[in-house]
Amino acid sequence: MDPMNEKEPLFSPKNVRLLKQPLVKDNPITVQVLGICSALAVTVKLEPSVVISLAVIVVMGFSNVMMSIIRNITPPRIRILVMLTIIAFMVVMVDQVLKAYMYDVSRQLSVFVGLIITNCIIMGRLEAFAIANKPWPSFLDGVGNAFGYGWILVVVGFFRELLGSGTIWDINVIETPWWNLYELGYQNNGLMILPPAALIVVGVIIWVHRSKHKELLEDN
Amino acid sequence: MEELFSIFVKGIFIENMIFAYFLGMCSYLAVSRTVNTSMGLGLAVIFVLGITVPVDYMLNKYVLQEGALTWLGPQFATVDLTFLTFILFIAVIASMVQLVEMIIEKFSPTLYANLGIFLPLIAVNCAILGGSLFMQERAYDTLGQATVFGLGSGVGWLLAIVAIAAIREKIRYSNVPAPLRGLGITYIITGLMGIAFMSFMGIKI
Amino acid sequence: MAKSYSNAYIFRFALIMVIIVATTLSVAFAFLKPLQDANRRIEKIMNLLQAANIPVDKDNADSLYLSHLIAEAMVDPATGEYVSIFRADGTFELGEERAFDVDMRKLVYAQRLYREGRSEDNPALPLFMIRGTEGDTLFIIPLFGRGLWGPVWGNIAVGADRNTIKGATFDHQGETPGLGAEINQRFFMDTFIGKRLFDQEGEFQSVKVVKGGVSTLPEERRIHAVDAISGGTITSDGVSEMLFDGLKSYVPFLQKAI
Repeated sequence: MDPMNEKEPLFSPKNVRLLKQPLVKDNPITVQVLGICSALAVTVKLEPSVVISLAVIVVMGFSNVMMSIIRNITPPRIRILVMLTIIAFMVVMVDQVLKAYMYDVSRQLSVFVGLIITNCIIMGRLEAFAIANKPWPSFLDGVGNAFGYGWILVVVGFFRELLGSGTIWDINVIETPWWNLYELGYQNNGLMILPPAALIVVGVIIWVHRSKHKELLEDN
Repeated sequence: MEELFSIFVKGIFIENMIFAYFLGMCSYLAVSRTVNTSMGLGLAVIFVLGITVPVDYMLNKYVLQEGALTWLGPQFATVDLTFLTFILFIAVIASMVQLVEMIIEKFSPTLYANLGIFLPLIAVNCAILGGSLFMQERAYDTLGQATVFGLGSGVGWLLAIVAIAAIREKIRYSNVPAPLRGLGITYIITGLMGIAFMSFMGIKI
Repeated sequence: MAKSYSNAYIFRFALIMVIIVATTLSVAFAFLKPLQDANRRIEKIMNLLQAANIPVDKDNADSLYLSHLIAEAMVDPATGEYVSIFRADGTFELGEERAFDVDMRKLVYAQRLYREGRSEDNPALPLFMIRGTEGDTLFIIPLFGRGLWGPVWGNIAVGADRNTIKGATFDHQGETPGLGAEINQRFFMDTFIGKRLFDQEGEFQSVKVVKGGVSTLPEERRIHAVDAISGGTITSDGVSEMLFDGLKSYVPFLQKAI
């Protein structure tokens, strides 16, 4: 199973496609419809969006590899149980270790533990890819999808924070030493910090996305 | 009895899993093309929630909580297994979903084909784990209350997905901008419905 | 995928997997628990000191706590009398229970049982007496409640008049980032400073977290209220409830002549 022993080069065109495909064409959030709950819950601000994106990249890469390694000995009838155990095990382990050695980081992350475990994007990729493919392509698929998921989160987080709180990464951009838009009558849009706003922002991203990629158009 | 009823109604409207907590969105958005499929998935969710919440309640009460193992003997009074919460809850959920999958595959192959990957994904439907975690957090007193809470949340979820499916069936006759058709407009409609459901917030029963 | 497996194999597979996962987790947990407990202890101390507006960081938390602590006390909720006093030098002046060791989650649960008449036992309440930066005595009351997704907790520092709030800290386990999670931000916690728990008539009012802002309230109510965080309604309500339920038990103590 060692990828080094395979004849195929590590970054063959096929493997690179695994990495690139989910970024735009087969994006988890806008096309595959996976991982929405967390996209709504954490994107009020840019910072948590970035934190959870990084966490998902790590968890997804490794759980895909683990699943792929044991794919041939896993009975299909209990595969869901096996997948979830792997994911939950990894996330809980990471959380426990962080709590012991990097308490400040864990305070940031422990909020998301439940969200990462039930993030359907992770299990979705295990079920759709890792269970039938070798470890190295599975790893690339996991990382690629996690990036595709991450950048949407960051974009949504950016707009919601900018329009809802008037800040970017907690730095105020509406009221600065040089200009103050509030004096001109500008107001933050309180709607943007409520969860439904995330749905509407993602809806607009899909709109833009699909006007660029006509092949994704649906008909209902 | 009155209390059970209020937990049930709360679960459906005020604390609706989709519109108040935005849990279980993935399958909600992806499987809501037709009312029939949504109904099937909704029933599966009710079934899974109705079983996993009480089972997890018993687990929490007799295994996980600190001091919960005292029924084994007084020497276990200080054992605290709460760190196993996620793993155990998710294991219960996964086995239930696996069961449902086998049942549906056997009795309704059409529904099975329609649901596709989203059937196993009920397991990671955040609404289900959310149900168990809410149950643990709200510390319901009896098994009955926990069960009713699970069923109520499930019915609320069914209501939400059937509602959006009905809207999507109608919207096919409308002139939606091409890139927004399908998924895009569904996102936006759900956002608007969420805002509407906010009017239930703050109602106390 | 086409391979079929016998039930015995499936069972064996599941069993082995469960054993591996459970053992690894338990070993890791047993090994890491002392470190985690130390971290939690430091955090608790930091929260107490921050409620008293004493600047503190991880490294000096222990020594600062010892130098600022006057006493840890346990208070009888019925009479407001001390039932236990623990001094900073490590000796008990009265009783034998340390406020620091009280598990707030259990305390709140026991209080609920008592209120609903399901238990005879009204538990004693923890209280910290801490010397503030200006040499004044502060009573710090720990609180525990429920937010939107999980527990919220905090400390309220009450001045020597046993009425005016001198400082507050709040924290949470998993409130929504950017909304309810903001309760642990300075801007929110500082709005509690100067608020009062009792009105002119000496009636207990608590402090409410008000949606829409304090300015919507009549003049005389404003001293008992702070602005809610927009979008964090359920968390804000949870904080209000926690303040009311938690502080109510301390009323006999707070109303005692100084």
